Amino acid sequence: MTPLITIDDVSVAYSNKTILNDINIEVMAGEFVVVIGQTGCGKSTLLRLVLGQEQPSRGRILIEGCAHDHPDRHRGYVPQKYSLFPDKTVLDNITFGPEVEEFAMFNRFTPRFRRSRREFQERAFELLRHMGLSESDGAKYPDQLSGGMQQRVAIAQALVMQPKILLMDEAFSALDPGTRDEMQMLIRRLWRETGTTILFVTHNISEAVILGTRVIMLANPDGSGSKVILDSEVYDGLLERIGGLWQLGQRAPSPSLCVTAAS
Amino acid sequence: MKLLEINAQPSRTTTWLLSWFLFAAGITAYFVTATKRHRENPDDRVVPTLAQMSEGVYNATLKPEEGAENQSAWTRFSNSMLWQDTKASGRRFLISMALLFPAVLLGLHIGVFPYVGVFFLRFILFFDKIIALSVLPILFIAFGIDELSKIMLIVIGVTPTIILDTFNLTRGVPEEQIVKGFTLGASQFDVAYRVILKQIFPRVLNSIRLNLKAVMLFLFAGEMIASSDGLAFRIALLRRNMGMNTIIPYVLWVALLLFLVDLTMRVLNRKLHPWFREE
Ligand SMILES: Nc1ncnc2c1ncn2[C@@H]1O[C@H](COP(=O)(O)OP(=O)(O)OP(=O)(O)O)[C@@H](O)[C@H]1O
Ligand SMILES: [Mg+2]
Repeated sequence: MTPLITIDDVSVAYSNKTILNDINIEVMAGEFVVVIGQTGCGKSTLLRLVLGQEQPSRGRILIEGCAHDHPDRHRGYVPQKYSLFPDKTVLDNITFGPEVEEFAMFNRFTPRFRRSRREFQERAFELLRHMGLSESDGAKYPDQLSGGMQQRVAIAQALVMQPKILLMDEAFSALDPGTRDEMQMLIRRLWRETGTTILFVTHNISEAVILGTRVIMLANPDGSGSKVILDSEVYDGLLERIGGLWQLGQRAPSPSLCVTAAS
Repeated sequence: MKLLEINAQPSRTTTWLLSWFLFAAGITAYFVTATKRHRENPDDRVVPTLAQMSEGVYNATLKPEEGAENQSAWTRFSNSMLWQDTKASGRRFLISMALLFPAVLLGLHIGVFPYVGVFFLRFILFFDKIIALSVLPILFIAFGIDELSKIMLIVIGVTPTIILDTFNLTRGVPEEQIVKGFTLGASQFDVAYRVILKQIFPRVLNSIRLNLKAVMLFLFAGEMIASSDGLAFRIALLRRNMGMNTIIPYVLWVALLLFLVDLTMRVLNRKLHPWFREE
């Protein structure tokens, strides 16, 4: 079976600074993969590669065995910030995808459009209810919603397209702990219900273990670019193991320092 | 004394009194000067009194043409000097404003599509530095002294600013929004118009609003130098026979009109974009 996502010998460098160094990851359909790593280690860069928003300096990214050089409707995206269109109501944010997909810019003045639009809105309302929001929230603008509600809508907006892959970049990092717990339960539930493959980036170790079926850890211990230092299914002692690796990463920023400490 | 205290909270009455004080002081000072000068020289025309100014306003707005004394007030007003001048200037103003919209679209395309950007940006950055008034003689030679050269003056003076403002606003849209658009199946133009333009539009309108004064400045320069009608033409003409009693009402009229256009745009912006928060 071809993996859904193949990250094959990928490196990324900006003006001679290597960010990602020789990354190899394969993700099968239906997995919930969490990528963790310390700040600046290139997690968002990895996500942008999978989205097709950025191209690797070396290696290749394949989606179902094919290269894509552009983000498309099969890969949903939920970022930490600016996750909703501020100029559109909650409802219009969710129906945006179906609308632009079925109607080119100038076909939006036909009766057929109005009929389909009602269908899209029905679907959007259904999703909203499913995400624990009320119908009256549909008329609000994003900045009238709390952070947690905004992210719920952003997830609904992505899921309405039924993407093959859902890419989430620190999607819950700006939320308070209670809301964050709720959102973690929600995304777990949605993952089970829809079977969508999820690639979730976070720098929170416990979030990684709670959410994922598999955890991939990136680290850059010697300054030559981040590598995969851990790629494991979730098991009982994983949290402690990641914790240990995390400490190591923090205490040993360069190899020379390690040598001094040892001698 | 709380006068210079950062956290001071003036009461409503104080706010009202203080905010109108300079208006009252200005008007008082003016009429004190006028009265004083007229006591020394009853024929003074430099600082006209209220009576002289009313006469000027009457002549400019409601004075009947010869042989047409029994026309209605409205007919007289619509044939009056002030209204005809306002119409002439207003027409030029509206044409110029209409020409700013292609400028907005150009700015958008420069910001969104890198090829369009590299093609235009350098040229427009240079074009922006040309002092519009310095090309006025060239315009008159190239386009004659009629309407076209006046409109061109405004276009040269204001469009580069609008193009570059729109360009910068376009660049300020977070990358997340663009990626989001594509992942929802939007085409290139959907992203350009329905994601980017739509969310910068209230700021674009603000930028146009802030450039209204520049539009008027170039309009007035054009009219004062080469025109046979328009508000600025009239002001320049009245200067020759010291028609201060008409010039002052004209100046105030122009300020009032500009204030109203500004207000309308501000209200419209708020009504059309209820989601927009000015920062
Ligand atoms: N376009 C770019 N040009 C140059 N350097 C960049 C560019 N984009 C990212 N970087 C650098 O690449 C590194 C990795 O960035 P990235 O955003 O992927 O990290 P991250 O792991 O997501 O960090 P965070 O946890 O802070 O979000 C950072 O050091 C950043 O400065
Ligand atoms: Mg990041």
